[in-house]
Amino acid sequence: MEAHIYLEAEIPMVGSATDFTYKWCVNMGLQPDEAARMALAADEILTDIVLYAYPEEAGYIEIWYQYSFSEIEIIIQENGEPFDPGKYLYSLEKAMNENNFDGASQEIVRKMTDQFLFLNRGKDGKEFRLMKRFVSDDIRKTVGKGNEIADADHPGNVANQYLITPVTSEDAEDIAKLIYRSYSYTYSKEELYFPKRIEMAIRHNYKFGTIVRTESDVPAGYFAVLMSTDSLIGEVGEAVVSPTHRNRGLMKRMMNKLIEMSRERGLLGLFGEAVTVHTFSQKVNETYGFKSTALVITSSQKRVFKGLKTEPSDIMSVVVEFLPLSSRRRKPVILPDTYSDLLTEIYRQFRTVPAETSEANTSQKEHEGTNLDLNINYEKESALIIVRDVGTAFEASCNRMLRSIEDVKLLAVYIDLPLNQPRTDSAIQWLKEKEFILAGLMPLFHKETDYLRMQKIRVPVDFSLIQTHSDIAGKIKDRIQLEYNALHKEKGEA
Amino acid sequence: MLSGDFNLKAVRVIKELLDDRKALAVDLTNSRFVNSKAIIFLHKLMTGKPAVDVRLKNPPKVFFELLTTLQLHKVWELDNIIEP
Repeated sequence: MEAHIYLEAEIPMVGSATDFTYKWCVNMGLQPDEAARMALAADEILTDIVLYAYPEEAGYIEIWYQYSFSEIEIIIQENGEPFDPGKYLYSLEKAMNENNFDGASQEIVRKMTDQFLFLNRGKDGKEFRLMKRFVSDDIRKTVGKGNEIADADHPGNVANQYLITPVTSEDAEDIAKLIYRSYSYTYSKEELYFPKRIEMAIRHNYKFGTIVRTESDVPAGYFAVLMSTDSLIGEVGEAVVSPTHRNRGLMKRMMNKLIEMSRERGLLGLFGEAVTVHTFSQKVNETYGFKSTALVITSSQKRVFKGLKTEPSDIMSVVVEFLPLSSRRRKPVILPDTYSDLLTEIYRQFRTVPAETSEANTSQKEHEGTNLDLNINYEKESALIIVRDVGTAFEASCNRMLRSIEDVKLLAVYIDLPLNQPRTDSAIQWLKEKEFILAGLMPLFHKETDYLRMQKIRVPVDFSLIQTHSDIAGKIKDRIQLEYNALHKEKGEA
Repeated sequence: MLSGDFNLKAVRVIKELLDDRKALAVDLTNSRFVNSKAIIFLHKLMTGKPAVDVRLKNPPKVFFELLTTLQLHKVWELDNIIEP
């Protein structure tokens, strides 16, 4: 579970916060030794904040605890005195000769974590990010190479009857084996090769889904929804049918079951991220009523897909496709002039669309302040800035945020802008000046509100390798390509 | 015996109790970690004039990692400091 705490910057509070950190880390699946290392890292940062950021004044510290399938991240924010970590480097010589231990804390934090980032957001404060990856057994190492065709794929295991049941944490190892035996090393979601990570995610309700077994209890297929932690939607993100059991309608049965389970859980919609190296997934999504809303370009290592004739590519773009599950009235949107034509077309695909409102009907006062959140995906080397409120100082705040991540190795930066606020169009114009281009509509993506995603890609994009299936996906791609080419032409001229 | 982690709060309590004693023994059985402020405090005690004789019992595993990170494992006489 994710957590957020707000505490007074006082020494007695540090112990309470590190106690919580330790227990949270253990609950999320870290071994006690690793949890102690994270608690120590948090203690070092918090102690220094109390001593040096607020030496004489009262202040507050906010801590966010975030979980993903492969790592946990602790984000500590404060607004105390300015600080330049580059000036404090630990030296044994200084420690011995001058009793000067400056930089010792940072040295320790780096050692205790897998990634430590310090982000200076100027007037918006300072941010310390501590990340640790889960360490657990990798199914690729435990399943012997000579044993690849076993259980599910044994020719004798073809079944006439299949049983579809909801997955439980006890199915974790079978799921990892299914993925490995069906995709070998090519499945895009690394965490599915680690049974422990799957087990924790199911146990904490971060995902739910179905598993198909034969009459003799051999696992044959798995399909899951990954719950968003920011909105009542989920991603149909993990699907596999063992090769021996394909073409028996299992995927269809599992998808229908998933949609039913998602409705029962009160989800407002499901989305899929269909890869664009082929159109197979996009076509499958279409048959279930998913509609294309965005094209998100991301980077990945060059890889090929098992059993599919695809070109190895540096980029790994996905078409975002959305399936509404509720006809409940959606929050009204303000269509920004810049993309109103395209957004109108995207919305027209759905039976129920949010009402369009005008700027005049929206209270400017509601969103005077700017509120930004930053999520870093360390595995994909990308960052997502979620703009909760586009306030009057959006440009300055966003600029500070972008500057603070300049030194972080990122291949893509995405910005999600709310579609229910009057300043969104001017924010789009400003972002375009900052070399961002369109990605598309992200329906109900944050706090059950529709967002527009902009993207800045730091690797060359070959659009001829991006295959889209639906007309709308093609139009979105054309628009993005147009903006991409214009941007690169401008840069070339400059 | 410390009831929790060896952190700045514990350092402040020990400092007060220590006064001008010449020896300090800390049982760390209940500590999940020892932080940098505690390490610096102990280092200053051991190298001060007059020096304080420091003994630690059952330090957590991460304590040794900390000393290595700060390269103090080369300087501290661990055979004398760590109680068997």
